[in-house]
Amino acid sequence: MIDVARIDHWAATPPRRGPFHRASVFSKSLFVGLVVTAAVMSKNPSALAAGYALLLIAAAASRLPWFTVALFSLYPAVFALLYGISLRGGAGMYALLLVKAVTPAFAMVMFIVSTPYPKIFSLMSTFLPEIIASGLFMTYRTLFILLDMMDSFAAAIRLRGGFSPGSLAKNSANISKGLAMLLIRAVERATRLYAVMAVRGYNGSMAEARIGRLSRHDWLPLGAGAAVLMLVLLWK
Amino acid sequence: MTHMHIPDGILPVWLWVAGFILMAIVLGLSLLQLRNMDMRRKIPLLGAVAAAMLVAMSLEIFVIGYHVNLSVAAGILLGPALGFVAAFITNVMLALMGHGGITVIGLNTLLLASEAVLGHTVFFLLKKRLPVFWRAATATVLAQFVTTLLLIGIVAVSRASPALFGHEEEHTGAIRDSVRMFAAVVLSLGSIGWVIEAAITGSVIKFISQVKPDLLGHVLHRDTSAEK
Repeated sequence: MIDVARIDHWAATPPRRGPFHRASVFSKSLFVGLVVTAAVMSKNPSALAAGYALLLIAAAASRLPWFTVALFSLYPAVFALLYGISLRGGAGMYALLLVKAVTPAFAMVMFIVSTPYPKIFSLMSTFLPEIIASGLFMTYRTLFILLDMMDSFAAAIRLRGGFSPGSLAKNSANISKGLAMLLIRAVERATRLYAVMAVRGYNGSMAEARIGRLSRHDWLPLGAGAAVLMLVLLWK
Repeated sequence: MTHMHIPDGILPVWLWVAGFILMAIVLGLSLLQLRNMDMRRKIPLLGAVAAAMLVAMSLEIFVIGYHVNLSVAAGILLGPALGFVAAFITNVMLALMGHGGITVIGLNTLLLASEAVLGHTVFFLLKKRLPVFWRAATATVLAQFVTTLLLIGIVAVSRASPALFGHEEEHTGAIRDSVRMFAAVVLSLGSIGWVIEAAITGSVIKFISQVKPDLLGHVLHRDTSAEK
């Protein structure tokens, strides 16, 4: 799984804030939408590859960790290639599948490394039902708690000799007990967190549910997204 | 096996749009069923279970490319309606982390949620007939089998549009063959994954039944607003 804590750090407290960090959440979600549309419509791998290169330049110019973003974006490439192999196509089709997979993934990772999750949930709260918005927020909070507990659990089980290479049954049993314990503790902690939030005035709705306005800082995400889409539409 | 890592722009548009529409309908019905729930109790449980699913998905068994889902455990703990919401939240979070495309959220939610709903149904149908571990394990294997068939169905249907990739010449015989190959791979390798998932889900549910049985007793599912 992608390192959620590292992404959160880049999004919330970047070493240097670039144009992508200053842009509104709304413009960045439009940017992702434009790139996804480009990927859906694309039938020419060269055009989408040029779009990917353009996004790389935009990420580097915005002081985003472009190399790590590129590495993260390669994850779906494996599955796209497997899908391509089962289709038994030629090199052109593999290339198209590859760029169709990595280009929207790159845009999505650019979005999340420059936008704190609470701001994304705030935007989503404007159109999602309350239970889903609250559920997303609680999942996000609990995920960090669980990841911390999982690290401690993994260290503890190694120190006590709980992992035996080659013994699937023993390892599965230990992992299952660990997961069950994590789940129970996560429910307890999440219940406590929810109670604290309720005491502090949380009445079932997100404190900040808003779309936000477009500003002069939005030129880069909107321009980059539009450029990728234009490339795909014009370069057939 | 029942979570597609298919990125954006690969499946035919009609297919993922249909997935979104169907998901929106079922999600709407689930929310309608949950309208009287006690938010203070359900939301933390929903968040904890969805987060546990995400953590479990990070445990990949590299040899067969399978990762644990805990979707059946989610269904057993949350019930069908809230289980569906948890599946949706998990898929949205995965898409936000760059895992899986945005356009396949609908289809992925339907697959993951069908595991949760089927798992919940089988687990409670087998009540008093089997010990907790075997009930959960049986529910997991059955749910995984059915949803793997659904996955094969989706892939088979998606192959109906080879023109999408500029391969108009590909004839239906080749499409059928590749679907057979895909089905053979997911059913053979997947069955190993089902057994592992069943063992883990069975142990998780057994442990919860011993340590915190009220989570299984669905105490949290009751509307307590009248008790206040």
